Amino acid sequence: MLIEIIDVLISGLINGSVYALMAVGLTLIYGVSKAFNFAYGSFYSMGGYIAFLLFGTALINNYLLVFCLAVPLLLLFGFFIEKLLVAPLRKRDDWEIKVMMITLGLALFLDNSFQVVFGSRMKSLPSLLEGSFEAGEFIIVYQDVAIFIFSIGGILLFRWFLNNTRTGMSVRAVAQNPAGAQIVGIPKEFVFAATFAISTVMVGMGGILLAQKYFITPTGGWDILVKAWVITAFGGMGSIKGSLYAAFIVGLLEAFVGWYFGMTWTLIALFAVLLTTLAVRPQGLMGKWG
Amino acid sequence: MIKVEGLNAYYDDFHVLKDVCLNVEKGQVVVMLGPNGHGKSTLLKSVCGLVDRITGSISYNGENIAGLKAEKLVNQGITYIAENRELFGEMTVLENLKLGAYSRSARPFEKKNLEKVFSMFPRLKDRRPQLASTLSGGEARMLAIARGLMSNASFLAIDEPSLGLQPNLRDEVANIIRQINSQGMTILVVEQNIPQIIELADTIYVMEEGQISFEGSREDALSNDHLKEIFLGM
Repeated sequence: MLIEIIDVLISGLINGSVYALMAVGLTLIYGVSKAFNFAYGSFYSMGGYIAFLLFGTALINNYLLVFCLAVPLLLLFGFFIEKLLVAPLRKRDDWEIKVMMITLGLALFLDNSFQVVFGSRMKSLPSLLEGSFEAGEFIIVYQDVAIFIFSIGGILLFRWFLNNTRTGMSVRAVAQNPAGAQIVGIPKEFVFAATFAISTVMVGMGGILLAQKYFITPTGGWDILVKAWVITAFGGMGSIKGSLYAAFIVGLLEAFVGWYFGMTWTLIALFAVLLTTLAVRPQGLMGKWG
Repeated sequence: MIKVEGLNAYYDDFHVLKDVCLNVEKGQVVVMLGPNGHGKSTLLKSVCGLVDRITGSISYNGENIAGLKAEKLVNQGITYIAENRELFGEMTVLENLKLGAYSRSARPFEKKNLEKVFSMFPRLKDRRPQLASTLSGGEARMLAIARGLMSNASFLAIDEPSLGLQPNLRDEVANIIRQINSQGMTILVVEQNIPQIIELADTIYVMEEGQISFEGSREDALSNDHLKEIFLGM
């Protein structure tokens, strides 16, 4: 029993760490540009498919290479999607709604493209690390440890970027005070696109990390979009700290509910928590609406 | 240095500035007076590339800059200091100052300018690690001015520096403006609550209902009874 609980706890923490990476990306776009990206889940699947393609080429056989190639690909993809689809809408009235619509369209387009190109059968990725540590009944799989380290590493790297680089500081500046950012000469349009690109990398990396455990499917991103959205709303839209806490709460909740009541109950439990939180604190754990 | 001719500015469909002409020579302090809500801030923002819809011409050292955005103009040495300060509240004083030196042309001078503003505003030096949102009104005003100076500008448009400032700090603001002007900074300032700033003025303009209703030297303005009564409170 105790061992089982520890297993569930570990699994919750590992999923929580990947959720944190992805939810921080989603809340970042909202915090900086007030846009909500409905294609976020499809970017998750795309990360998985990019890794799948890279592994399919004969030259690439380890994750280090995959990451080195996938990160710039995702970065470029995110940047150009923002420039081509989202940026032109910003000049119009009600652009937030229009961004939701166009990213929803993009999500459907991407998912169907995945279906056509890769077929509807699940794809899997090799393990990041083989083997496991065993002590009696207690087993910890190295792959899980690696996923955890990469997710937390990604978040720390992102934090470092925000606090210590000029571009990172300009991202925070635009999020805190767009008018002030304009006054000091920060190119807002570039910051919007850069933010979108960074968030694409974060969710795409999440896709690569989780695909080792949960496979890649053309429509698998929706589940992730829903979870990332629940986490951001739960933590407070636009609050990075809130998303971090919320991601781990959601990861653990999911693990324990799944273990105790069965997997079918996990989404119901998530929404119950979300709705209760929003009823009591509409701004989420740490955020502010509007 | 700055020459504005036939400038019109709009917010949505609202016609704010109507055929405004203005001239600021290098090294001058030009003071803009006028009732609130009549377009003074809009004029400053238009010159600094912060208003989207403008027509007419604005030239800077002979080059037409009308329509260029702030991100370009800050790089060329034109900086706006906002009346409501527009600081980054969740960042430290030091981070705010560093962001003041965001533009490419200011980066090489970041260290030098940081020393300069710290010697001008010793209190900001003490408050370096503090979040900007925790500063007092006066300190926040100083930070807004200091952040503007970090841009290594040669032209500053300062919008109502006395707003939200205790009367005893007005002297300090006037001194700062005198000091940076004596170091060669060209300044266009909207301010009518600090007589010491008006004393620094080479030229005074009055804006009413989006139009320039008076232009002249400080002496002309002071001998104009209408102006004296309405704007200078004397």
